Amino acid sequence: MSTSILLLTAGLAAALSVAGAFKAPRLWLSFVLVAAMASLAAAVGTLAGGGVWELQSGWTIGGERVHFRLDGLSAFFLALLAVIGGTGAVYSQEYWTDAAHPRSAGPGRAWWSAMLTSMGMVLLCANGLHFLIAWELFAVTAFFLITLERRWREVRDAGWLYLGASHAGSLCLFGFFAMLAVRTGSWDLGPMRDRPELAPLFWLALAGFGLKAGLFPLHIWLPSAHANAPSHVSAILSGVAIKMGVYGLVRFSGWLPVPEAGGWVVAVLGVVSAVLGVAFALGQHDLKRLLAYHSVENVGIILIGLGFAMIAAHHGHPAWGALALAGGLLHVWNHGLFKGLLFLGAGSVLHATGTREMSRLGGLWKAMPWTAGCFGLGAAAISALPPLNGFVSEWLVYLGLFDAVNAHDTVAWLAIPAIVLLAMTGALALACFVKVCGIVFLGVPRSRAAESAHECGWRMRGAMLLLSGLCVAIGLVPVVFWPAVQRAVVEWRAVEAGVEAPLMALAGCNVVFAVLAAGAGAALWWHVTRRGIRRAPTWDCGYAAPTARMQYTAGSFAGIITEWFAWILQPARHRRAPEGVFPALARQDEHTPETVLEKVVQPAGSVVMTLSTAVRRLQHGRIQSYIVYLLLGLLVLSVLVFAWASSGSR
Amino acid sequence: MSLFIDTVLRLAGWLLLAPLIPGVINKVKAWVAGRRGPPVFQLYYDLAKLWRKGVVLSHVVSPMHVAGVAVGWVALVGAAMLLPLGEGGLAFRGDAILFVYLLAVARFCTALAALDTGSAFEGMGAAREVSYAVLAEVAVITGLVALAVESGSLSLSTMLTPSPGAGVALLGAGLFIVLLAENCRVPFDDPNTHLELTMVHEVMVLDHSGPPLAAVLHGASLKLLIFSVLLAEAVLPLGAMPAWAAAAALAGAVLAIAIGVGLVESFLARFAFRRVPLLLTTAFLLCLFALLTAWKGSEFGVTESSVAERGAPAAEPFFGWRP
Repeated sequence: MSTSILLLTAGLAAALSVAGAFKAPRLWLSFVLVAAMASLAAAVGTLAGGGVWELQSGWTIGGERVHFRLDGLSAFFLALLAVIGGTGAVYSQEYWTDAAHPRSAGPGRAWWSAMLTSMGMVLLCANGLHFLIAWELFAVTAFFLITLERRWREVRDAGWLYLGASHAGSLCLFGFFAMLAVRTGSWDLGPMRDRPELAPLFWLALAGFGLKAGLFPLHIWLPSAHANAPSHVSAILSGVAIKMGVYGLVRFSGWLPVPEAGGWVVAVLGVVSAVLGVAFALGQHDLKRLLAYHSVENVGIILIGLGFAMIAAHHGHPAWGALALAGGLLHVWNHGLFKGLLFLGAGSVLHATGTREMSRLGGLWKAMPWTAGCFGLGAAAISALPPLNGFVSEWLVYLGLFDAVNAHDTVAWLAIPAIVLLAMTGALALACFVKVCGIVFLGVPRSRAAESAHECGWRMRGAMLLLSGLCVAIGLVPVVFWPAVQRAVVEWRAVEAGVEAPLMALAGCNVVFAVLAAGAGAALWWHVTRRGIRRAPTWDCGYAAPTARMQYTAGSFAGIITEWFAWILQPARHRRAPEGVFPALARQDEHTPETVLEKVVQPAGSVVMTLSTAVRRLQHGRIQSYIVYLLLGLLVLSVLVFAWASSGSR
Repeated sequence: MSLFIDTVLRLAGWLLLAPLIPGVINKVKAWVAGRRGPPVFQLYYDLAKLWRKGVVLSHVVSPMHVAGVAVGWVALVGAAMLLPLGEGGLAFRGDAILFVYLLAVARFCTALAALDTGSAFEGMGAAREVSYAVLAEVAVITGLVALAVESGSLSLSTMLTPSPGAGVALLGAGLFIVLLAENCRVPFDDPNTHLELTMVHEVMVLDHSGPPLAAVLHGASLKLLIFSVLLAEAVLPLGAMPAWAAAAALAGAVLAIAIGVGLVESFLARFAFRRVPLLLTTAFLLCLFALLTAWKGSEFGVTESSVAERGAPAAEPFFGWRP
């Protein structure tokens, strides 16, 4: 009952917020916050209470009765949506103001409300047709949010790419839901695990939801969309929107039977996404594009968990599957939180300096200590460093994988490479975030823009601090959040698998480590400052006048690793070597293209275009030739008909 | 109360014994070269001197330059405390992964503190450190999987105590290479050189001085001791021995490893950087073969016991030969 009231409040507040979006930003913000709080409360209530809330009304939309359902799994995603949606709204009040963006600020707020509502609808709808409608609304609202600043060509291109990829995914989902409806005789969704003939439909769902989630070969839309959207939009895109794809995969792998190979494919795609996502991230020079590739990586980690859970479902639900799924699901929350935080931090840098190019930044900690601190914390969290949240979820995934190895089953042949490559991913992510933090926030400013940077105001800061706090909280007291994860895991395939993990011991270690680290840092700082600090230039091999341009660059820092991955990154190098006795200008630069897009999708697309152009020659406006076409067509048809008739009569 | 005393004793043991290892290594190198060399306790004197000294900081650096050193040091101490030493101590399922990631925390802090100075040399060192660590971490985790398969557990205290299987030589060799790489010893790095372009660890700490440098040096020696103890416990069947014999064997093994490092440094030159990944990949492959050996070994065990228990043949091996 109370869930109904809370969700109704949320829906009403979201609808009202659209009204205030254009003229009254403060009203809009308060309505969005009310909606976020109400849906968060509904989600937390469902996760804590353990029941399933259902509403089947007499109303029909498109001839189908409205059917809403909130269970442990959808509530799990709804909670994340509420937190990031509310935080992003607060952030946008200062980041995307009417003064700075008179044309797009108002529509941006309206689309924000619309996108939150449609994502909430995706989570609530338990009817295939309505799910598709909500999904399509969500895809379209996201397009308008990505292209808020559509006077720039690259923003429009990114938007089109997103829209195209998104609709390719929607097409698969249309096929999926339509065939599901045909085979079951109803658009109603719900558990139907005892119908093995539905299993092959999973492949359509994997393509459709995988495109949205940004799985490795399907991620082509993701980097440019995340990079060119306003930063609060990037935060919700990466934090929540791609999780809708994950939600679809988790939901329908739980409700429907899945083919035996499904889990293996998902897990392998997860491993590939994790390693290659971070490898591509290392090759990027654009701060937000780099973060976008890390979304590919983290979705990979989530899907490793899901994939192993699906394999476990075919092995009689051993505990390792539940552990892996728990890790994957907790990583959904964690990635939403720290990636949201990192994008908000990147937005704050962009706001202060006007550039996303890392080679033009540097030394920002002095001007923006809050942003630097929050970004650093998010970087440590995404590198899965204890005592923060990223470590807890990866640790759970590791536990599941190690137990799968010790099950001495065929699954070990996938679990062992997965463990090794997950460790590699962790170390690569660490290298990447050392690069980002070091190049952007430490050292000396590399450009005038970076020199004149300023700290953001309290609303942007507050949003980042809230997300940082949640990252720390899940790291230090994971026990508090654990029941919610267990609830979602049990809901997945309605198996009461005991998900046991020694979280108390881990939490204890994390707390002790955090306290001691803070204490030791303070103690050393006190010991150092007590005697006074002498300042001197940085030691540069005895050279006493170092300049900002002599610092190590992002490209050189990642160079060793990108060289290992050059086979897939296919970096483009431009080099002009110094020549002659008195060399003039010499330069070298290197950038990593969107390899899958530029080397696979675009060539394939141009082949299609060439073929189409060739076919178009048939249409030239000469009526005589058209008559010949007609005659030829008739002739062919009549020959066919005669041939068919004669074969039929015989 | 006994838990408290136990913890304090372990902590004191780790912290006080760690600086001895570099002293032993240097002594061995001196003997091989026919010199008398610095005293074994030289690092203790250095640390005491540095702790009392003042600090020179670059104009550029943030407070993180100092605080990060402390956090990295605490992370190393935490990793050390996770390693089992006899009965008791901190142990839970999955602490092996925490161990690996605590070492990563230390790396994160050191590399960021290096980039904090804005020096090209320290950037180079940090880049090498985080890049080679990718391969080293892969090798370590493969070794841990081998131990987990061997013991059927994921807690260091049970992973490191049973008698090792047939792959022990492979695992030992792999972990020894990782030890050399992670602690920046020859042939990966030369701790003696003062040419910034050729160093990894030393070049990252060029701008540290006074107490922070003391913490860095102590942390480095602690890391060396951690890897030595890990290697010794992974190779020796300490769980099967009485306590005094285990302690003696562990001490002897750590001493032998220190001497081994010293001998390697005396007889080998530093490799060119482009050959470093090759050597680390070798370490990974050694650990991988140790894992496969452990896998085959445990498969025999599982097959026999499960046949006895369930009366049914165990699951078919995915590929390979059967007993």
